[in-house]
Amino acid sequence: MSTATATGEKKNYLNEHTGIWSWIYTLDHKRIGIMYTVTLFMFFFTAGIFALLMRYELMHAGPSGLMTPDQYNQLFTLHGAIMVFLFIVPGIPATLGNFLIPLMIGAKDVAFPRLNLLSYYIYVAGAIMALVALSSPVDTGWTFYTPYSIQTGQGVVLMTGAAFVLGFSSILTGLNFVVTIHKLRAPGMTWMRLPLFIWAAYATAAIQVLATPVVGINLFLLIIERTMGIGIFDPKLGGDPVLFQHLFWFYSHPVVYIMILPAFGIIAEIIPVFSQKPIFGYKAVAFASLAIALIGFFVWAHHMFLSGISDTSAAFFSIITFAVAIPTAVKVFNWVSTMYRGSIRLDTPMLYAISFIFIFMVAGTTGIYLATLGVDIFYHDTYFVVAHFHYTMQGGAVIGMIAGLHFWFPKMSGKMYSETTAKIAFILIFVGFNMTFVPQFVLGMHGMPRRYFDYPPEFESLHFASTIGAFANGLGYALAILNLAYTALFGKTKAGRNPYNSLSLEWQTDSPPIHDNFEVTPIVTDWTYGYGEPIKGQSHH
Amino acid sequence: MSHHAEVTDPQGPPHVHHMDSTTAYQAAKFGMWLFLATEILLFGGLFCAFALFRWTYLEEFHHASKHLNVWMGGTNTIVLIISSYFAAMAVDAAQHGDNKKVVRNLTVTIICACGFLVIKYFEYSSKYHHGLFPLNPEFNSPEFNKAYQSFFALYYCMTGLHALHVIIGMCLLGWVISLARKNRFSGRYYTPVEVGALYWHLVDLIWIYLFPLLYLVG
Amino acid sequence: MFRYLPEQASTFAPDVDWIHHWITDISVFFTVAIFGAAVLFAIIYRRRDGKDHKTPQILGDHKLEAIWTVVPTIICIFVAVEGLLVYRDIRTPPDKAMELSVTADQFSWSFEYPNGKKTLNEVTVPVGEPVRFTMRSKDVIHSFFVPAMRVKSDVLPSIFTRVWFEPVKTGRYQGYCTEYCGAGHSTMLFSVNVVSGAEYDRWLNDDSQEFMMSRMGAEEKGMALYEQQNCITCHSVDGSRKVGPSFAGLWGKKEKLTDGTEVTVDENYIESSIVNPNLQIVMGYGPLMPSYEGQLPIEDIKALISYIKSLEKTTIAPASADPVAAAPVDRSKLTPPELGKLLVQEKACGACHSVDGNKLIGPTFKGLYGRKGKLADGSSYEADDEYLKHSILEPMAQVVEGFAPSMPSFQGQLSEEEIASIIAYIKTVN
Repeated sequence: MSTATATGEKKNYLNEHTGIWSWIYTLDHKRIGIMYTVTLFMFFFTAGIFALLMRYELMHAGPSGLMTPDQYNQLFTLHGAIMVFLFIVPGIPATLGNFLIPLMIGAKDVAFPRLNLLSYYIYVAGAIMALVALSSPVDTGWTFYTPYSIQTGQGVVLMTGAAFVLGFSSILTGLNFVVTIHKLRAPGMTWMRLPLFIWAAYATAAIQVLATPVVGINLFLLIIERTMGIGIFDPKLGGDPVLFQHLFWFYSHPVVYIMILPAFGIIAEIIPVFSQKPIFGYKAVAFASLAIALIGFFVWAHHMFLSGISDTSAAFFSIITFAVAIPTAVKVFNWVSTMYRGSIRLDTPMLYAISFIFIFMVAGTTGIYLATLGVDIFYHDTYFVVAHFHYTMQGGAVIGMIAGLHFWFPKMSGKMYSETTAKIAFILIFVGFNMTFVPQFVLGMHGMPRRYFDYPPEFESLHFASTIGAFANGLGYALAILNLAYTALFGKTKAGRNPYNSLSLEWQTDSPPIHDNFEVTPIVTDWTYGYGEPIKGQSHH
Repeated sequence: MSHHAEVTDPQGPPHVHHMDSTTAYQAAKFGMWLFLATEILLFGGLFCAFALFRWTYLEEFHHASKHLNVWMGGTNTIVLIISSYFAAMAVDAAQHGDNKKVVRNLTVTIICACGFLVIKYFEYSSKYHHGLFPLNPEFNSPEFNKAYQSFFALYYCMTGLHALHVIIGMCLLGWVISLARKNRFSGRYYTPVEVGALYWHLVDLIWIYLFPLLYLVG
Repeated sequence: MFRYLPEQASTFAPDVDWIHHWITDISVFFTVAIFGAAVLFAIIYRRRDGKDHKTPQILGDHKLEAIWTVVPTIICIFVAVEGLLVYRDIRTPPDKAMELSVTADQFSWSFEYPNGKKTLNEVTVPVGEPVRFTMRSKDVIHSFFVPAMRVKSDVLPSIFTRVWFEPVKTGRYQGYCTEYCGAGHSTMLFSVNVVSGAEYDRWLNDDSQEFMMSRMGAEEKGMALYEQQNCITCHSVDGSRKVGPSFAGLWGKKEKLTDGTEVTVDENYIESSIVNPNLQIVMGYGPLMPSYEGQLPIEDIKALISYIKSLEKTTIAPASADPVAAAPVDRSKLTPPELGKLLVQEKACGACHSVDGNKLIGPTFKGLYGRKGKLADGSSYEADDEYLKHSILEPMAQVVEGFAPSMPSFQGQLSEEEIASIIAYIKTVN
């Protein structure tokens, strides 16, 4: 079998089979990862535009004339629902996870390739339902709290139905990854030699499998309640609206760990490579991922401190929430220690990784305010919370994803992007992002509630600054993604197998990889982080 | 586009290009166990809702449960247990390469499942005639006892979702039967039978929890 | 420290702000230190001339890991505990707090004062006095937030929720609805108007026409309902024991329930007892109260609660005092029938079984022992020791014809000896 295509190029997963049907019916995890990436970013920009429309409305006090309060409410609902269910939850696992997991463990594909393709199409089905739902836009907030979500106009059934369908995609992807990581590791790739991205992906996949069904049944009950008028959540029919919140947050808290753990994994891959030094404290970082996943199942009611739960419950959930902060802090300390006496290379992925450290310190410490009961009474449902979760979700998960896309771009496309353009985009994103959300922390300190169409005039200057930042932020993302898309399609600079001198398995094969990933199944004899000069008496097995 | 799974040995495992057959078998079983975990969590949410409402409305649930026919529910329980037995026997037959026995046993399983659904149909239609049905306007009116409404709402959700899983299981086992009729299974390859039976056992297990909770509370 | 937090208008605002400042100091310190280290390392260890320099293969350091696990844990414990203490204060109103009632709906706030006065979207309170708000929503979930007072709570349509605060200075403070509730969510603002004590009294008793109409306080309405809805049949208001507990002195009481748990009589307990009476029954009483679910709108339930609250200090008429709470008896000195009689009183058997031949909910004890007759299922019975014991432990198993299966089981509540003494007592009732 020749290794060259008809045009004389070396065969790889991109050019080996051509034509649209070869993509539609593909079973190749790499192609599925690419398809997810393209689809996900379409929704990222859609939801991003909704955000910019909202920020335009909020730029000045008083109605802008562009939209009614109802439309504003629909915008924040759709922004949240699309970002969460259609972008960040599939997020890194569906895109980079699909592409990289088999490569990093030395396998040819995931355990169940057909299931993988099915996951993608279930995602597409859910996405189409969500698009149809836009015709009768929901205005409940992405959290769909009852009783309002039972009473309000149309649209709720379609949107929650879409989320229900998307949940299956998430479950099946998680299931696939758990089995893949257990069963398909190359000879010699022991658990303790796995890249930290794999540990993170594993913990994430476990959460996907265990938490998602609960929100599935919750949304299912909401749909039945709206369509058949039974009384599970509606107090007028003998139901309990707080039951909805419990079932909702039982999933929606672990879901934030689905969003962030893979991002932590990406940072743990970038920093050692761009410091040419082993990750400091490999075991600690690996087990921290598992600890976060586990503890994360027991903190859900910290979203409900003021919903009428008992003081004892509140105390319990507050304390466990503090517990989940510790492994996160441990990770950050280990990353920074990795840089100590490294040989630091400040390319775009590393810039994103270093900025992640700042952003996540802010994200994590502002979480402490919210975990502290006495203070949460003040901050719950204010702009402080909005800023906190944008620091974790956008500053953390999305920037982690962008960092990873830049890092592995040469591997995925075989080409190098323009560093200058990428760095300009990075500066726009970093400055714009902080400028958007720091004023929102201050607004929260002043007591401004969230989900407000309009606000008292004394808050205007902070909102104005936030809007300027948001537009810069959006411009930065557009530039970053356009840069990558343009290079993928039209770029000329070849990347080579291993431009960053990484020891990880995916970099030991072609860029882009061949269809089966490796010419010969790799036999692993050392761990992923064996950089630098060995020290007497210390070794990792 | 190359075939994903080529069958070279008519009674052996299909050749999958990215893993050997032993790994494929282990992966399939592991995958099914994980899927069963998700099903348990799905029903778990419903069980939680039921527990909450039962605690709040203990006496009304007591009385409402009396409207359910314990004999029909009990018979259904026996029917499902028998169906699971035959599914387990089918796995054993497949391991011994007795494809005809696989077909016979799984057919009994499916017949039992049909029996289950028939009895369910009778139960539901009797409720319908008594007006104990969410779409019935009298049932939905504010005068109707709220606790009764909650009980029946949960009753229909739980048994309805379960019945849906029975149907899914029947389709799955039907597919396994079609493979067995082509003499597909042997001691070297019986994964679909094992994995299908596992799913069926879960469907049975969920009913074994549903039955006492809904029917025997009274 | 920057003062971005609102002014401290309540007694616990300084405590909240104190922890807030601590968290800010710790957070800023660690963020600057860690990010600063990262930036420092990025600069001093950067590659030069496009070539990597040698790096040491440092794998980790157990001591360091331990330190940076333990130190954050200690800090977290400190912050968590301080937060819990402040939370406890914010959630525990003082006993003498003035009671106000709050109703939220889409999209306004209405407040009701102790004398029945009502206001809309504005509440006036006296400075230096603790005030407690009991809140309920008419429709969806709202949230009551007054930043200057540092209080917030969701307002639900299914149960009552509460906040309290004690204002420390006069002034007008902004209040917001802070749980999304629909199109008018951002317009659902209110003011908290803190005035001097004297001014408050003047304002409260202002007999202007428009609120004379709503002057019939909730208490009077509650008393009317007490009679109309026949609560009077089973519940006295003078402390005497009837089928159900007396309302006198009931409010705020800690009651022991039949399942062994304890409950404090508050708004939620009373509402629950009205709509779902057999869920939480006071020890010594039977499951006999009918449910008023669907018969009493929430306004009526609130009125009944106000009435019961007003009876908090009612003294109990000594003559008809609860016999069980009367002089404690030395049980070891009683004969079996005497002990049985005491237990029959304690366990309220008399609510259903008379001793004078009258047919109540259950068969009369008069002449019961040895009686022969038919059961509800057609078989025959004889009321001997074994039958009576069985009836106490498994009352639904053999119900006498003509009676309903409504006796609760006393399994686990009476010892063998006690059951025998009750049977001995029944033998004596002729």
